[in-house]
Amino acid sequence: MPDDNLSAILYKTGDLRLENRPIPEPQDDQVQIRMAAVGICGSDVHYLVKGSIGDFVVKAPMILGHEAAGVVSKVGKNVTNLKVGDRVAIEPGVPCRYCDFCKTGRYNLCKTIFFCATPPDDGNLSRYYCHAADFCFKLPDHVSLEEGALLEPLSVGVQACRRAGVTLGSTVLICGAGPIGLVNLFVAKSMGAAVVIMTDIAENRLTKAKELGANFTVQIQPGQTAEDTAKVIEETLGQSPDITIECSGAESSIKLAILATRSGGVVTLVGLGPPEVKVPIVNAATREVDIRGVFRYANCYDAALALVASGKADVKKLITHNYKLEETLEAFETSRTGAGGAIKVMIHC
Amino acid sequence: MAPSLVNEDNLSAVLHKKGDLRLENRPIPEPRDDEVLIRMAVVGICGSDVSFWTKGNIGDFVVKAPMVLGHESSGTVVKVGQKVKHLQPGDRVAIEPGVPCRYCEHCKSGRYNLCPDVDFCATPPSHGNLCRYYTHAADFCFKLPDHVSLEEGALCEPLSVALQACRRAQVSLGHTVLVCGAGPIGLVNLMVARAMGASKILLTDISASRLEVAKELGADQVLLVEPGVEMSQYATEVATLLGGAPDISIECSGAESSIKLAILATVSGGTVVLVGLGPAEVKVPIVNAATREVDIRGVWRYANCYPTALAMIASGSVDVSKLVTHRYALQDALLAYERARTGAGGAIKILISCD
Repeated sequence: MPDDNLSAILYKTGDLRLENRPIPEPQDDQVQIRMAAVGICGSDVHYLVKGSIGDFVVKAPMILGHEAAGVVSKVGKNVTNLKVGDRVAIEPGVPCRYCDFCKTGRYNLCKTIFFCATPPDDGNLSRYYCHAADFCFKLPDHVSLEEGALLEPLSVGVQACRRAGVTLGSTVLICGAGPIGLVNLFVAKSMGAAVVIMTDIAENRLTKAKELGANFTVQIQPGQTAEDTAKVIEETLGQSPDITIECSGAESSIKLAILATRSGGVVTLVGLGPPEVKVPIVNAATREVDIRGVFRYANCYDAALALVASGKADVKKLITHNYKLEETLEAFETSRTGAGGAIKVMIHC
Repeated sequence: MAPSLVNEDNLSAVLHKKGDLRLENRPIPEPRDDEVLIRMAVVGICGSDVSFWTKGNIGDFVVKAPMVLGHESSGTVVKVGQKVKHLQPGDRVAIEPGVPCRYCEHCKSGRYNLCPDVDFCATPPSHGNLCRYYTHAADFCFKLPDHVSLEEGALCEPLSVALQACRRAQVSLGHTVLVCGAGPIGLVNLMVARAMGASKILLTDISASRLEVAKELGADQVLLVEPGVEMSQYATEVATLLGGAPDISIECSGAESSIKLAILATVSGGTVVLVGLGPAEVKVPIVNAATREVDIRGVWRYANCYPTALAMIASGSVDVSKLVTHRYALQDALLAYERARTGAGGAIKILISCD
């Protein structure tokens, strides 16, 4: 076992360094984890490139990484659900447990939540990391540590599909075929969606979507209006989708999502874009198309793990690039540029 | 016993085109097998009627041919179609104005308000019922208990809008509710939200006199909003006045700034319901709503609300008659519409009597 704690630290915009940090000791309700696999998320890249997301601003050095899995190396005094040697997926957000949001089961909305790699909280792209034991999920023997790390984005998909009400027979439009669009594809299908149609501006992403199970794909044409694209979708499916899951955050895509959805249906917004966007809200309102946002997830890791453990969602196919912790800067560059058809870039610690 | 047909004319308020509203005689219609013929009694004026009159259209609904106005109404049955069993001549009824196709998926799944082929009074090209005689599907006519007046029957319509909104918002016991806009729609939402158990209700408006009425009708708090002030500031004030961010916001004005306020003010995990209609595209802080899981749900008319609206009036749990400020005879319909357009004299709900 290494005795250093090499960590990927974001000092400020554009300034990501690999440095040693003290190896942390677990608190009574925590476990210490020898980190194994950490995926890079668009938000990590965004903090590197812009230094902030909305009101979350990098004001002090912060360790990146929140899509992670590892092996328990030490357990705190009160921990009973895990032991040393257990391989675990780490749910990165630990809420306060006391507020009304926590007590009503919507802990993702807790205002004082600790969340890996959201300023000012450190992430877990390091060799060692400590975390609340009840937010660590033991992996069955046949589920790999990389798959464990992928439970994080998969949970975003679970939250989105649940909030959208995806169920047996649903017809689902997913806007955006990046990693988030693709995890929503896996989850929607597993929840019984009869048909999934996906849009993207990039043809290669749609090809991947088809490989992973999308029934139909529609490439967004430059200059084509949202109204026209909505018509293409309706013609392709023979009906309008009941549910649309918007994963890109782009204003034009949100507009498409609203216009394309069947009256009485639901648009779920996962993708984040500019704080104020112009949307055809009267179209949504007068057709009772509900608009429901998604913020991270709550009580989704179990379902995500069950899906992967069942073998019915081959999430490993999302991993396109692998790097060592020492190669973190290169890994982030690949993720930032999307070079080589990058989807999910995985870092091994 | 059927009332005698004193007037054999069918004087009707017909909108020929934008700005051109005329009182004309029209043939007295015959009810189909599943319809009843109604001697109209009371018809309220809605903002949408005024919009058709002053603008000639609302969105894609364009007045292309003469159309009788009026859809908030009640009357007395004078004739029943062959298949009608639950009504007879003499019955006083509230008329639910939208009759759907009954065959499509929306109709069959209980959301008939979304039927694309619905026949809706005074939405082009369908005629309304601001006239003396009118036929309508019998199952969309609701018999009034003896103690409920024809005026209250007509008010079932706006009350149903509020019921649809409060149901879609899932207003329930203990909820705190923000209602944006204190016009007739904001006021019926105030009444229904209270009846559904809301513990604290705050209304906003740009007019102090409207907020006075809201207070008289039971609003716990009111907030006057002025142009030029940041909505985030008002959102904070709303939370202060209510002792916390509201669980539910019901937006009744359609104004962009008000929609913004509704979103910013609502507690995380809460619901914003959009009743008011404004410009087709509006700029909204949607990321704020999305990242706090504040749901945005629109309301389009109503479905399966009339029986409950009527029951609420009949039981006394709402007193809709307080909304009525002005009354006119059918012959004076143009004066009534002019007042509705200007809001002169503190007009809230204007009723027209068709006798």
